[in-house]
Amino acid sequence: MSTAATLPRRAAAPSAAAASARRYAAFAARRTGQALIVVVLAYVLVFLVLAAIPGDPISAQLDSPQAGYTDAEKAQIRSFHGLDRPVLVRLLISLGNAVRGDLGLSLSTSQPVTAVLGAAIPSTLALAVTALVLAVLIAAVLGLLSRLLPEGPLNGFVRALPTVFLSTPNFLIGLVLIQVLAVNLGLFSLVDPDSAGSTLAAALTLAIPVSAQIAQVLITALDDSAGQDYAEVAASRGLPPAQVVLRHLLRPSLLPTVTVVGLVLGEVLGGSLITETIFGRTGVGTVVQKAVAAQDVPVLLVAVVLSAAVFVVVNLVIDLLYPLLDPRLRGTEGTR
Amino acid sequence: MTATALTTGPLAAARPRALARRRPPVTVILSLAVILLVLAWSLVPGLFTRHDPALGVPDDKFTAPGGQYWLGTDHLGRDLLTRIIHGSASSMTSALIAVAIGVVVGGVLGLLSGYLGGWVDAVVGRVVEVLLAIPGFLLAVVVVTALGYDTRNAAIATGVSAVAVFARLMRAEVLRVRTSVFIEAARVNGGSSAYVLLRHVLPNALRPVVSLAILQFGVAILVIAGLAFLGYGDPPPASDWGLLVSDGREHLLHAPWLVIAPGLVIAVVVLSVSRISRWLDQGRNR
Repeated sequence: MSTAATLPRRAAAPSAAAASARRYAAFAARRTGQALIVVVLAYVLVFLVLAAIPGDPISAQLDSPQAGYTDAEKAQIRSFHGLDRPVLVRLLISLGNAVRGDLGLSLSTSQPVTAVLGAAIPSTLALAVTALVLAVLIAAVLGLLSRLLPEGPLNGFVRALPTVFLSTPNFLIGLVLIQVLAVNLGLFSLVDPDSAGSTLAAALTLAIPVSAQIAQVLITALDDSAGQDYAEVAASRGLPPAQVVLRHLLRPSLLPTVTVVGLVLGEVLGGSLITETIFGRTGVGTVVQKAVAAQDVPVLLVAVVLSAAVFVVVNLVIDLLYPLLDPRLRGTEGTR
Repeated sequence: MTATALTTGPLAAARPRALARRRPPVTVILSLAVILLVLAWSLVPGLFTRHDPALGVPDDKFTAPGGQYWLGTDHLGRDLLTRIIHGSASSMTSALIAVAIGVVVGGVLGLLSGYLGGWVDAVVGRVVEVLLAIPGFLLAVVVVTALGYDTRNAAIATGVSAVAVFARLMRAEVLRVRTSVFIEAARVNGGSSAYVLLRHVLPNALRPVVSLAILQFGVAILVIAGLAFLGYGDPPPASDWGLLVSDGREHLLHAPWLVIAPGLVIAVVVLSVSRISRWLDQGRNR
């Protein structure tokens, strides 16, 4: 069931290994259960908030004189969408359907919500993954430079960069990148938002603020490791600084860094809304924006809960990997 | 204390100590000046500009930044600096509302959750977990959709999206303070639960929350600007900073200053806020 159990172990303590595997399995089951509950509660919360939209979402379309519906027809359409029932009943029906895989129909296009989102997901996935990779790379460069550069103005600059990145609005970053890379340098065309160049620029827009958060954690962790005895021993043995950083400081700093990579995923998903708009992409972010404009509650609900679910699942996986990554945590899993 | 001194590197240890003792470094003084200037813009915009934010000079449209118009003009010939100055009140007030909601709602939730424990803690814990799982900007978009688009509602939505971080921090601080000897002493002396909570736990748990609040003020400016950029704030005659950038977007190719100037104003203000927050944080620790 767990990887810990399949690791080759010496015969010395088979029962201890089995007990550890059992503990891990229980921990994994508990964390998975918690994650499921969080996703379901997120669905409930977003549903209830959206139910507070004044009037019902299709009134505007139905009531306009051009639509030419009679009162009976309007009532029929409302009851088709279930809008004539109390909120809690609607919530239970909607949740029940969602659990069975029926996510409902878009109010503005009457397409299934799954089709609307399914068409948008690949673009956003490509964007988000590229952005995360870029963010990790930028953070790694900043982290290494913060240890390798001698103390001085240049080092101070590297250490101040994450704060600058975090303070810059992402729409400014995006628009400046478009101006400089596409217009001035002609590196990519604005006409095809899905071209590699455009995707890279969009990903960079998302990556810059996100890399800052990762870099802050990495730099702090590297500084912490640098103060440890083993790091001082390594340095006093005369190892070159680069080797000390790469072999002795980086490894213990990876755990907090991996944690923060999971946490910044939320910023990537939220930030895609603005980034996709600026770069003219059609992804989950623009679907959300259209759904907001049309008050298309079913689409908006599923898009937001999907983002939350992705966030929860990725962080669940990271949590489950923890004890496998760090031997020190193996006996104590579940205390986090 | 000795343990922490040993585990922090020479680089990390030297800085905060130097900062805490001496007068604030230049960057902090500059940051304070920026914030004071923007506050003054918000309170008495008329003092800083002789132009009218809504009235343009059509002949001067798309004037590049220069002597007459420091930051240039827009497509109607309105002075950009004037619009930024007049937009600061709305941007600042919104961020303030957002942080106030976060601090008060999140603070009360965290306080009760940490102090009472039991089922209150369990319920609040779940709510916080759910709020943290929904990407913050999306949560703000959902809330502003439900409330209706205007700047006040965007501020409320931003506040809602910040509740969870405040609740989490406040709970952690209360748990830390609650086990202190002086709390025990207050209880032994016969202090009621509410008295101990308000008189002893709250003041001691508050400081990190205040420093987070300042940091969140910067975050709130960014989130509100993002919402305004997408058109979820007040409509155009208003000149919220995010809206200015989104207005300028159409003219990016021939009048880039319309995007860059308000964008940089946002960045500089947020940077100043986070510099101050970090400085306060360093002064407190160790």
